[in-house]
Amino acid sequence: MDAATRPFRWHRNFSAKVAAIPMIITAMVVFVGGTVWTVVYSFTNSKLLPREKFVGLDQYERLWGSSKWLISLENLAIYGVFSLIFALVIGFLLAALLDQKIRFEDTFRTILLYPFALSFIVTGLAWQWILNPDFGIQHIVRSMGWESFTFDPLYNPDIVIYGVLIAGLWHETGLIMCLMLAGLRGIDEDIWKASRIDGIPMWKTYLFIVIPMMRGIFITAIVLIASGIIKVYDLIVAQTGGGPGISSEVPAKYVYDAMFLSQNLGQGFAASTMMLLTVVIIVVPWAYLEFGGKRQ
Amino acid sequence: MARKVTTRRKTINTVFAWMIGLLIFFPILWTILTSFKTEAQAISDPPVFFFFDWTLENYAVVQERSDYMRFLWNSVILAGGSTVLGLIIAVPAAWSMAFVPSKRTKDILMWMLSTKMLPAVGVLYPIYLLFIKLGLLDTRIGLTIVLMLINLPIIVWMLYTYFKEIPGEILEAARMDGASLKEEILYILTPMAVPGIASTLLLNFILAWNEAFWTLNLTAAKAAPLTAFIASYSSPEGLFYAKLSAASTMAIAPILILGWFSQKQLVRGLTFGAVK
Repeated sequence: MDAATRPFRWHRNFSAKVAAIPMIITAMVVFVGGTVWTVVYSFTNSKLLPREKFVGLDQYERLWGSSKWLISLENLAIYGVFSLIFALVIGFLLAALLDQKIRFEDTFRTILLYPFALSFIVTGLAWQWILNPDFGIQHIVRSMGWESFTFDPLYNPDIVIYGVLIAGLWHETGLIMCLMLAGLRGIDEDIWKASRIDGIPMWKTYLFIVIPMMRGIFITAIVLIASGIIKVYDLIVAQTGGGPGISSEVPAKYVYDAMFLSQNLGQGFAASTMMLLTVVIIVVPWAYLEFGGKRQ
Repeated sequence: MARKVTTRRKTINTVFAWMIGLLIFFPILWTILTSFKTEAQAISDPPVFFFFDWTLENYAVVQERSDYMRFLWNSVILAGGSTVLGLIIAVPAAWSMAFVPSKRTKDILMWMLSTKMLPAVGVLYPIYLLFIKLGLLDTRIGLTIVLMLINLPIIVWMLYTYFKEIPGEILEAARMDGASLKEEILYILTPMAVPGIASTLLLNFILAWNEAFWTLNLTAAKAAPLTAFIASYSSPEGLFYAKLSAASTMAIAPILILGWFSQKQLVRGLTFGAVK
C-alpha cells in the first residue's frame, strides 16, 4: 500500500474526524443540551415537575430576594477567594522550603496526594470530627491545660465557612505543593547562579524570576483549585449539612434543595443559571486572554 | 534549585518534609486508628494513640448493618466500567487530535475542558429526567455512563498531552510498512503510551470512585457506591465515631492501597500529568 496516495490521506483524515465524533457528540448533547434546557426552564414556574408556563424573570426576582441564596453566594465567595489564595501561597512556600531531593520522594509525594485522592465526603466527615469541640482540637488543647481555649468553627454560624475552608485546604494543598515542587525542579540551575552573582535577594529572585517562569504550573494549579471550588457541594453536605441553620449553605446546595426538597424546580433552574452565568463571566475572558493569543 | 547543599541541611530538609507529610497524613491515620477502638476509647480523655485494645468489632457491626461488600462491588463496577468506557472513546479522539490535527483541534480541546468548569447542578435535572424516562435511575449502567461523561474531557486532554510526546515519524514508519489504522493505534501507539495511559486510568478511576454529587443524586439503594455508603453514616450515627471511622476506613482503603502500589502513576495522574 502506498501511504502517500490521496485515497489513503483522505481515508486517514476521515477516520480522524470519525474518531473524534463520539466524544464531541456526547459532550454536545449532555453539556450544551442539558445547560440550554435548564436555562429555558428557569423562566417557567415549574414546581414538582417541569411545566412550560413561562413567567419571565419571576424566579430570578425571588432568587435575589432570598436570604439563603445571598448567604450561599457570600459563602462561596469567601471559600473561593481564600482557598485560591491560601492553597497557592501555602503550597508554594512549603515547596520552596523543601526544594531539594527528599529521601523516599515517591512515597512522600504519594502521602501529600492522599487527601486529594479521597472523596470530599470522607474529608468532610474527618474534619467534622477534628473540629468537634467535644472531641477534637478544642478538647485536646483544653485538656492540656488551656481551659478557655475556644475553637469550634462548625458550631459558630459566623465562622462556619472557615471551618469548611480548613478541610478544603487540607484536601488540595498537598496537590498544589506537589505541583509547585515539580515546577521548581524545572527551573534552570543557571538562573540561581546568575541572580546570586548579580546580588539579587532571594525573595526577589522568587517573585520576579522564578514565579513568572512557573506560569504553566500556576495555571494548572489555579484550574484545579477552581474546579474544586465549583464542586464544593459534597464537602458541605458531609461536613455541616449547610448548618448551623443556613449559615454554611452554598449555591450548588441551594439548587439541590430547591429542586428535590422544596419541590421548586423553577427556582433551582434559575439558581443554576446564575451559577453558570458567573462561571462564564469569570472564565471566558480569562480563557480568552490565556489561550486566545497563542492561536498562531 | 539543586544548589550546593550540605548533608546536614539535607537531613534537616528531609525531616521537615516528613513532618509536613505526617501532619497532612494525620487525619487519615487518626481515622484508621479510631476504627480499631471501642466507642468509649474513641472519645476517651486524654486521647489514646496506639495503646488501646485493638478490636475489629466496629467493622463487624458496619458490615452487618449495611452490607459493605455490595457498595464496594458497585464502586468497583462504576469506577472500572466508566474508566474502560471512557478510554474506548477517548483513545481514538486523542489520537486524531494529536496526529491529525485540524485548525479547530485546539478550540475543541479547550471547549471540552471548559465543560469541566461548569457547575454540575446545571445539568443535574435534565439528566435526572432523562434517567427516569429511560429507566436508568439507580442502575449501574446509567451511572457508569454519567461518570464516564463527566470525566471524558480530562481523559481526552491527558491522553492528548501524552500522545503529543510520541514522535509522529514512528507511526508514519508503521504505516509505510503497511499497518492499517486499527493496527497503528492498537499495536504501535497504545503500547508506547502505556505509562501515560496507566496514569490516566488511575486518575479517572479515583475521580469516579470519589464522585459524590452524581452518585448521591442518581442512586437510591441498588447501584449506590461507597460514597453513598459513608454519607449514610454521617448524620444518624453522628456520635458513633468508631463506627463512622470504620466505615470511612473501609471506603478509603482500596484507594490508599491502590495508590501505594502505583505511586508513580498516582503522582503523574493526580497532578494531571504536570509531574512527570
